[in-house]
Amino acid sequence: LQVAEFIVYGLLLGVTYGLLAIPISLLFVATGTVDVAVGSYAVLAGMLVAVIGGPLGIVAAVGSAVLVASIVGGLSVKLNRQGNDHLSLVLASFALATFLESFALTVFGKDPFIRRSFTQFWSVMGVNVNPQAAINIGVGTAFVAGTYLLLYRTSWGRDMRASAVSMQAAQLAGIAVRKVQFSTALLSGLFAGIAGVLILYTSGVDYAAGMHLTLSSFGAAILFGLQGPLRGFLGGLAIGVIEALGAGYLNSSLANLLPMCFIFVMLATGRMSRETVVGGRA
Amino acid sequence: LSDGRYVPVAALGAAIALGALAIGKNPVWLDTATVIAIYGLLALSVGLSYGQAGILSVAQASFASLGAYATAILSARYGWSPYATLPVSVLLPALVAYPLAVVVTRLQPLALAIATLVFGQALDLGLRQGGELTGGYIGISGIPPVSIAPTPFAYNLMCWGVVLLVVVLYSNLLHSPYGRALRTIRTDALRATADGVNVAHLRSATLALSAGMAGTAGWLYAHQISYVGPDSLTTSLSLSVLLMGVVGGVRTLLGPLLGAAVVTLMFKFLPYQEMQGMFFGAGLIAVLLLAPNGLLGLQWGRMKAAA
Repeated sequence: LQVAEFIVYGLLLGVTYGLLAIPISLLFVATGTVDVAVGSYAVLAGMLVAVIGGPLGIVAAVGSAVLVASIVGGLSVKLNRQGNDHLSLVLASFALATFLESFALTVFGKDPFIRRSFTQFWSVMGVNVNPQAAINIGVGTAFVAGTYLLLYRTSWGRDMRASAVSMQAAQLAGIAVRKVQFSTALLSGLFAGIAGVLILYTSGVDYAAGMHLTLSSFGAAILFGLQGPLRGFLGGLAIGVIEALGAGYLNSSLANLLPMCFIFVMLATGRMSRETVVGGRA
Repeated sequence: LSDGRYVPVAALGAAIALGALAIGKNPVWLDTATVIAIYGLLALSVGLSYGQAGILSVAQASFASLGAYATAILSARYGWSPYATLPVSVLLPALVAYPLAVVVTRLQPLALAIATLVFGQALDLGLRQGGELTGGYIGISGIPPVSIAPTPFAYNLMCWGVVLLVVVLYSNLLHSPYGRALRTIRTDALRATADGVNVAHLRSATLALSAGMAGTAGWLYAHQISYVGPDSLTTSLSLSVLLMGVVGGVRTLLGPLLGAAVVTLMFKFLPYQEMQGMFFGAGLIAVLLLAPNGLLGLQWGRMKAAA
């Protein structure tokens, strides 16, 4: 039964990684770069909700996450125009992540923030389940479904998929590729903001959590491949469960190390390749 | 000597001599100059990996940390002489970096950048949880001084001597066939393969060399401060040395050193420790947008023509 409880907690955690993995894979497929500041947007959002509180706090949190993400969006458009390689954007987003970490430390201090909305746990077949799980999974699935609709049922989604396959061809077909890339970045801010709110109510946030969140979600994004939002989301659940089991049965630092080793193995096996996603020379 | 490769070296030598004369034995400025030398070495390692080979490593401070911990553990715990630990401090980061890169670099530079990020975070965790060996959160103190450089003045000169030596070797490397192969890889890896360059090996070897440079900086750091801890050489330092490299111009030989001097002097007067990351982060983004080639990489002539 203890195993079941760890797994449930892992799923709870995993939903937030899954939510962060979606924008990572979208942005990677659409622009060929990785925004390593995604976790920091989530931290910022979580802290704002903790400080402001209430629905207003959530709006402010998600809004500011989108705002900060727009910086990376703007940078991506600007740096691409200068003909720079994709590494400049990784560097820029690394700079932004450091900026946000230092910002959170200066403004909100060193103490972690955590909120609990439920004191009573449900008992499902003898397993204690935090009702927060229902909210997390509900929000998570809603967003995965929403992403699918957006990608496969709207003209924006078609444009985005076209730019992912070939930027030049999409541009020749009259698609405003830069706009698509910019809005993908805004979307990643939205997802990160929502994830940040959920994290506050699940495991809590502290100023230094951003990089760990980014890495775990990055692992989630590449675990089952970058082909679609659902894979990223499931990858998030898997990473969450691995982390929770690790924290339960090994010591906590080893549990933090585990997903990193995992990501490294993923990288070494060549999961991170645009060619397998979009085919041909990307 | 006719290809002008020693012009920057001579310029640096002159600058060091002038600086040493100007500073004299003022303890505050000696300290700053030593810090610039150590950061400059790290920034040079960024120049080599990022500027020359197009490998973005966000773990240069972690490689330095590895070198610093190596000498700290061996000299403070096991009583090795600092001269005996120097090769370990240089080789250990290199030996870690090479397999790290060779496994990942078959793919894209992007994957390698993420791998270095993972490495940095993992090392940070490992150092904090290292128990007796790494001293955990407390770190290791009582690292012995270096006998040939007992005074701050001598230590400063020794640091700059190391920098000068590294610059000579770096300059030679750039003018060798390896340097040219590296530049080809940076521009077009496929083309380099067609030219018969073993891209994965050369890239990894460059990262290893760069990690070795960082390890040397870590050795100098440890014996100057006589203490290392998990908060000494952190990810945020990795970012600041990247900033130094980019500010000065990563593709130029002396640019990273200039960047280290400029950034260190600018931020020496920063009021709050916590806000450092904000300034470094914002500074790096601004430089990437405004002068992606850095100070020494600016095409001054063309700017004049445009104006």
